[in-house]
Amino acid sequence: MTVNYNTTGELSDGARNFVFFKIPQIQYQNQRVQIMMFKNMTPSPFLKFYLDDGEQVLVDVEGKNYKDISLHVKKILGKSEDTLQAEAEVKASNPANFGPKKYCLRECICEVEGQVPCPGTKPLPKEMTGKYRAKMAAQQE
Amino acid sequence: MLQALCSRSLQAARLCAPRRAVVVEVVRGRKSRSDPIAKSKEGRIKTPPPVDPVEMVVLKERYEEYQLIISALRLEFKEEVQRKKYEAETGSMAEERARKEAEEHSALMAWNRAENQRMLQLRLQRVQKEKEEVEQKEFEAALEREQKRQEFIKLKEEELLRLQEEAKHFITLENLDQRIEEALDNPKNYNFAIDKEGRVIKQTVLK
Repeated sequence: MTVNYNTTGELSDGARNFVFFKIPQIQYQNQRVQIMMFKNMTPSPFLKFYLDDGEQVLVDVEGKNYKDISLHVKKILGKSEDTLQAEAEVKASNPANFGPKKYCLRECICEVEGQVPCPGTKPLPKEMTGKYRAKMAAQQE
Repeated sequence: MLQALCSRSLQAARLCAPRRAVVVEVVRGRKSRSDPIAKSKEGRIKTPPPVDPVEMVVLKERYEEYQLIISALRLEFKEEVQRKKYEAETGSMAEERARKEAEEHSALMAWNRAENQRMLQLRLQRVQKEKEEVEQKEFEAALEREQKRQEFIKLKEEELLRLQEEAKHFITLENLDQRIEEALDNPKNYNFAIDKEGRVIKQTVLK
């Protein structure tokens, strides 16, 4: 993806703000995409996307607001709402993930039947505590 | 730091130790292939732990069953994952999905092209307007200049006329004598008085 824009002039204002505010997010979400900026090479600013199948998509951004540019790009080349939702669901539905109740099934292994209960509710047997084991090891020596 | 300390103590030990001791720092895998066996382990014969045959038989059976079940489960899951992948790539839904995606993509590209056209029109209009403005300014500036030039000319003409008028009353060599006579005949009195109210009094004692 390349961004051609000018460092001065009101018409390039949106492009400049887009480069400053939105490009980092785009790069983070597409880490394998090369993004290049060209300054003061053309009289009007534009974005150019080079797709995998060789197609080149030109987006004219003269005089637009940076939020509008971002929405435009999201519309033509971003993942659709349903795709994003499906991905989120897949991520959330993996039962092997432990974490906050909002995102995962369980928070800790102690919640599973047949596992060691949480030491917060029921103290562990002596043999499993670290200080008992350290004491035994010291005694042995 | 611990290693440095160890090495220092080892250096000291090295000096008083006999020649054929192994001189290596305290790290994992101290001895290499050519190092001799330790003195305490010289006559050692390593024997594996004793095995109870009855227990072994029972254990073997159980392990076989267990491994059978576990590996069957593993293969089941592997197959499920592979089947899902295969279906996702070459299933009946996949082609339709691919076609729909291609359609959406082409629709979005068309929309983008339309947007670009719109921007192009706007830009052309803007450029046109700017050009017209520049022309207008140029024209107005030219008018201004013309007007200024005219005023200047008029000013100079007036000056010229004034000078011509005054030239009639100049003192030249011809009427020098006449003018002197006139000046002597009419003496002018430039004295005057003025009071605080601002009344000017031209008539003085001196005639």
